[in-house]
Amino acid sequence: MKEIDARGLACPAPVLQTKATLQEEKPGAVKVIVDNAASQQNVQRFLESQGFETVLEKQGGDYLVIGRCGAAPAVETRPTPAPEADLKKIMVMCSTDRMGFGDDDLGLKLMVNFLRTLKEMGPELWRLVFVNNGVKLTIDGSEALADLQALEKGGLKIMVCGTCLNHFNLLEEKRVGETTNMLDIVTAMQLADKVVNI
Amino acid sequence: MVFPTDENVIVGLDRADDAGVYRISDDLALIQTVDFFTPIVDDPYWFGQIAAANALSDVYAMGGVPKTAMNLVAFPVKTMDIGILRRIIQGGVDKLTEAGAVLVGGHSVEDKELKYGLSVTGFVHPQRVLTKKNLRPGDRLILTKPLGTGIVNTAIKAGMAPAGLVEKVTALMAALNRTAAEVMAAFDVHACTDVTGFGLLGHLAEMVSGGGAGVRVFARSLPVIPEALEYAAMGLIPAGAYKNKEFREAMVVIEPGVDRARQDLLFDPQTSGGLLIGVNGTQAVDLVKALKDAGIDESAEIGEVLAGPEEKIWVL
Repeated sequence: MKEIDARGLACPAPVLQTKATLQEEKPGAVKVIVDNAASQQNVQRFLESQGFETVLEKQGGDYLVIGRCGAAPAVETRPTPAPEADLKKIMVMCSTDRMGFGDDDLGLKLMVNFLRTLKEMGPELWRLVFVNNGVKLTIDGSEALADLQALEKGGLKIMVCGTCLNHFNLLEEKRVGETTNMLDIVTAMQLADKVVNI
Repeated sequence: MVFPTDENVIVGLDRADDAGVYRISDDLALIQTVDFFTPIVDDPYWFGQIAAANALSDVYAMGGVPKTAMNLVAFPVKTMDIGILRRIIQGGVDKLTEAGAVLVGGHSVEDKELKYGLSVTGFVHPQRVLTKKNLRPGDRLILTKPLGTGIVNTAIKAGMAPAGLVEKVTALMAALNRTAAEVMAAFDVHACTDVTGFGLLGHLAEMVSGGGAGVRVFARSLPVIPEALEYAAMGLIPAGAYKNKEFREAMVVIEPGVDRARQDLLFDPQTSGGLLIGVNGTQAVDLVKALKDAGIDESAEIGEVLAGPEEKIWVL
């Protein structure tokens, strides 16, 4: 393995030294030694941009980047999503901001609680759609807003009917989810394994 | 340490804002700011312009109009041609003239390393002072210059940036925030700062710290110098960017879908960056349009202010 000692150098010098060595000697594996974390990160980025796979190590006061060429060219390392094959896709459609009929105050409380508890469906919860009065749950001041934002942050796709927002003059007030249209909603219904209407 | 203050100090040291503001009368307040640094470009005339644009920017970020300025010079008079200093100061003076401000004095010392900057004084109505604080849930965030000058300057140092890009970035750093400030004056702006050494998220962190709001930043909406993304992916990132990131890590949540080069740009230290404006959400679209109509082409809405979680920056 080719060793490159770039200690005592400030950015971008360690990257340039590594680059020069790769160009001149074309090593299949390199060990680059630097003396600070920023240079280590920069050398890692450079090696990955050149198709190396990298491992970072710390040895005493030294920071190492070990790079091996070959395998796959630089790919963004992302967490692999859980296998989706055997998961059901559940779509929940809320066309009201109240759950059930009778008492409106109770209905709102139930709705907020329902949305808060929805996460218990786990990864099978696939789409959450708001139409008609339901869009009022996605705006500033909605009691459900924080829970919806948390769901969205957890990776759930929340779709909010644009025609409805427009009708209530709430386009600017929406604070969660993507504005959507009827074609998206119909397509989602077709792809879903189960559609739950509230 | 305790710093004495008085009742006419509107923005003082305790606020750590872009400039100090002092009330002279009920309809006039003084803005004072100072900034200087070592050369960031090779051409002395352009360096002078950039240093002046950078110093003037703090006055614009406070909602004010610059009026007078004083030079600050550290110059290695024994080893460097005095003509270089003349070119630097000419750059500074030309930029001040463009800003409608006048140079009224200055001070120079001998130093091994060249440094230049200015102390700038401006005016503002005491009721119209803009600070970093005061973002409100529902506000939208607008940025008026593209990000990436720190990364591109690192690529320039590495000898990897083509001449055309050097020119483009130099002009970008020398561009005044004057027009942006004049345009925003007609809108319901709640908070403002300029993006400089701490990078976009460093300055945004200052805006949300102290509580009352959190922000959501849309990484894909950020105006960026396209080449900066390439250089970031190659590791041509200034050490300051990593320091900025480490310093604010606890306040920031970045979704895994945001690619690494764009994450790097979030913390890239900027020289004479754009204004970061928190505007009433209902006016955001109009403000961006007005900025673009005025020639601030790369202005963009980059995020929104949320009621919570407080003091958090969420990038997606």
